[in-house]
Amino acid sequence: MRWKSKPPCSQKSQEPTSLSLCLRLFHRYRDLAPQLVPLDYTDKPAVTLPYELIGSMPELKDNPFRQRIAEVFSEHGDGNMTLDDFLDMFSVLSEMAPRDLKAYYAFKIYDFNNDDYICKSDLEKTVNKLTRNELTPEEISLVCEKVIYEADVDNDGKLSLADFQHMIVRAPDFLSTFHIRI
Amino acid sequence: MLCPCACLADALIFLFLLVFHLSRKVTSVVPESCLLILLGLGLGGIVLAVAKKAEYQLEPNMFFLFLLPPIVLDSGYFMPSRLFFDNIGAILTYAVVGTLWNSFATGTALWGLHRAGLMDPGVEAGLMDFLLFGSLISAVDPVAVLAVFEEVHVNETLFIIVFGESLLNDAVTVVLYKVFNSFVELGPAHIHATDYVKGVASFFLVSLGGTAVGLLFAFLLALITRFTKRVRIIEPLFVFLLAYVAYLAAEMVSLSAILAVTFCGICCKKYVEANISQKSRTTVKYTMKTLASSSETIIFMFLGISAVDTSKWTWDTALVLGTLFFILLFRAVGVVLQTYVLNRFRLIPLDRIDQVVMSYGGLRGAVAFALVILLDREKVKAKDYFVATTIVVVFFTVIVQGLTIKPLVTWLKVKRSDHHKPTLNEELHEHAFDHILAAVEDIVGHHGYHYWRDKWEQFDKKYLSQLLMRKSAYRLRDEIWDVYYKLNIRDAISFVDQGGHVHSAAKLALPSMPSRTSMSESSVTNLLRESGSGACLDLQVIDTVRSRRDKEDAAMHHVLRGSLYKPRRRYKASYSRHFISPDKQERQDKEIFRQNMKRRLETFKSTKHNVCSSKSKARLKEKGRKKKNISLTKETPNGKTHRNVPWQDAAPVLVMVSSEEEESDSSETEKEDDEGIVFVARATDEVLQGKTTPGSLDVCPSPCIIPPSPTLAEKELPWKGDQADLAVYVSSETTKIVPVDMQKAWNQSISSLESIASPPGIESGPQHRRFACPVLEEQPQSASQVMPEQSSCFQFPSHISKSGRSQSDSSPEGPEQQELKPLMATEEQGRVPPSAEPRWLMFNRASHL
Repeated sequence: MRWKSKPPCSQKSQEPTSLSLCLRLFHRYRDLAPQLVPLDYTDKPAVTLPYELIGSMPELKDNPFRQRIAEVFSEHGDGNMTLDDFLDMFSVLSEMAPRDLKAYYAFKIYDFNNDDYICKSDLEKTVNKLTRNELTPEEISLVCEKVIYEADVDNDGKLSLADFQHMIVRAPDFLSTFHIRI
Repeated sequence: MLCPCACLADALIFLFLLVFHLSRKVTSVVPESCLLILLGLGLGGIVLAVAKKAEYQLEPNMFFLFLLPPIVLDSGYFMPSRLFFDNIGAILTYAVVGTLWNSFATGTALWGLHRAGLMDPGVEAGLMDFLLFGSLISAVDPVAVLAVFEEVHVNETLFIIVFGESLLNDAVTVVLYKVFNSFVELGPAHIHATDYVKGVASFFLVSLGGTAVGLLFAFLLALITRFTKRVRIIEPLFVFLLAYVAYLAAEMVSLSAILAVTFCGICCKKYVEANISQKSRTTVKYTMKTLASSSETIIFMFLGISAVDTSKWTWDTALVLGTLFFILLFRAVGVVLQTYVLNRFRLIPLDRIDQVVMSYGGLRGAVAFALVILLDREKVKAKDYFVATTIVVVFFTVIVQGLTIKPLVTWLKVKRSDHHKPTLNEELHEHAFDHILAAVEDIVGHHGYHYWRDKWEQFDKKYLSQLLMRKSAYRLRDEIWDVYYKLNIRDAISFVDQGGHVHSAAKLALPSMPSRTSMSESSVTNLLRESGSGACLDLQVIDTVRSRRDKEDAAMHHVLRGSLYKPRRRYKASYSRHFISPDKQERQDKEIFRQNMKRRLETFKSTKHNVCSSKSKARLKEKGRKKKNISLTKETPNGKTHRNVPWQDAAPVLVMVSSEEEESDSSETEKEDDEGIVFVARATDEVLQGKTTPGSLDVCPSPCIIPPSPTLAEKELPWKGDQADLAVYVSSETTKIVPVDMQKAWNQSISSLESIASPPGIESGPQHRRFACPVLEEQPQSASQVMPEQSSCFQFPSHISKSGRSQSDSSPEGPEQQELKPLMATEEQGRVPPSAEPRWLMFNRASHL
């Protein structure tokens, strides 16, 4: 309930800070590749950061989802990020983003083969990443079946966005877990 | 004098407890802590009247050394750690800043009241005395908060904030109490500026030191439990002992003992739970809860009893009323101010209603009372006044606020905690989101909460878990798999609870999916479509192509096992303090559980894939049976059979009836295929002779043992009657043999047997006598572990053990493995090539429907 009332008031108060936030993010973006990114963005240069730059960050080397995130948020789905993509990624995860948008992007992250359904193979990939390949294929397959069984409302053996949202609504702390505050 | 009194008191206590627990109406309105205090008051009155002087009271030493630690350990050990650390900022703020504010404000305000001359002149106290009193009266008490909030069920965040505050403010209380106590002893004239600095420094020392002691002992405890494989029975002892030693150690060097035990409990839990055996886990859980609730009972009781002792206290209306007013006021003010600041940093702000509950939930309790009793009458002149005031405050907060907080919460519509079932989805997404957020934080270069949590988890995974967990436990303890396992166990247990019938299982699988119950029409078509592919699902036949001699041996074996009643395995009748032999009853239960679990899995799969509600399924079965009768009696196809004609075109589906091991196999195999197969089973003679017998299906949904009255089919077809006779024979024979506990499972096996098809095919007559074999074979399943070939299907499949699950630890952990088996067995699937199909009873799918 709260997120509905939150955006109007916070948007007003955060108007000045969001600019500085954008600047901070820009500097961060530029720090990733100072040689590629110009300081002057007035004429909208077509600059993209290749995925290798992001994927090779030392902090990220253990993160199972690094490539997927870059792919989902990049415009062409290839993991190369423009500044806009970079800012988009952050705004999706900010508090002001509506829950449906968050759910949509979360769904996209799970949907590895981009067919707009989370099917069993997508889930198997997710579980594999989460468990760092420690489960046997049988175990993973069992888990995935159960996951689909739990959330699959229209019973087509895969999770559509509607299924996903329905499940997200039932989990009350989804909102509190899917955000970043800087 | 003392002894009979104590006995009387004890008897009364338990009598009243019984009454409390029985009368739900009373306890639904009045919290148990209130009732206990009132009961204590009554008992104290009786004792006072009989003995003319108060015999008992809450001794501070007893309280701090014996009564408090179990409660704190319990709350620390079962603290929802993620929730706790998610809200650690708010908790720490309220605990430190809030408590400081409360004690200073209350103390100063009371001193002002005293200076204004509103108090009795008998209250000889200076600013330091009032600050000392303020420090002990302002701390929210964990025992009282736990007792009241557990019955209120506010949402988890609210609860963890109030409760966490009450636990963590101990350090502040201890320091303030000690500092002011020494200041009072020194006298205001001798206090130097350095003393204040020392006070502040000692706060950090006490709180951080207490936490460090707790962490140290948590580490030790985890390390010790890693090596207790051979002494399972003392595992729980280690948990209690080391936690208590942590408490004593912290107390000894005057660090915050409550913090030590709390953090010991929070931190060791993950590793200890992974290391110790299931039984030890249960023991720890129940012992801890029992100890904690006993301590709680005793504490509240003694609070009531000690209040009667009038010699200890002196009444002053202004002091009492002033204190009550100030603690309520300053608590509310403090909460509002701090929440205002905190909400700037919180994603989900604490709204006004939360603040009201937090202010109102600041209950005082036995800690304050014990501290005030500990005061030295020589140094603190106004001790008697303080004691009286503390008692009144404690009683007021526990009784009045405890009584009213429930209506208040209802009236304000505070978000309650919802006990929805944990789902695998939540677990999965929680993990995934953690990683995703950590990744995004890394990309944008922000070292936020997720960043640190991710770093901690990596550290934990790389070093701590490796060091503190058994190899097997470390491997087994994958959280997602864990949740899956738990969910399955829970389903199975509820399934057993419901009576273990196949049909109840069908119902069970469905209520979580209400939308599915209405799809009868589409499900039928679905079913028809899916039934297009039939597959043989049995593992054993395909895997083992036995020689004739082997087969004969096996048959002989089965016959022997079927006809001989095996005594239960006997255990050495030796006594050992450190080992418990598994109970016979327990093994039986396990057996029943396992069997039911298998059945449940079967039906779960079939209902899941067939997507028909239990109702529509039953109807389908009804139809199927009718249709079967029709075909059996070889009537000319009427309208009904016409309708069923397309069904008969569907490819055949195997329905086999088998003894236990095949059932487990079948439950596995069902995973891959999409059509719902109700039973996959096999008659033993099939193994022997490898012949195919075409047949039709007789679905008997009720697990009745009594043979059905002979139908037309039975009269006409000789084997029908034959089978019925056998069923009678078996049931009368085995109900004698099978123990009462097994009956349910037995009935089920019978019912599954009755769904054996009696084929109208060519090779009919003599072979069907052999249906007796599976019946007999079911008998010894309670002792099935003895048989190597049977137990093999319960083991972890070899490909799983190959894939890295360390087996080294598992051999002495027989019971644990057994518990896993019903689940692990499900992994043996998908190995079945459809080539074996013709060897099996083949039915038209439609007849089954």
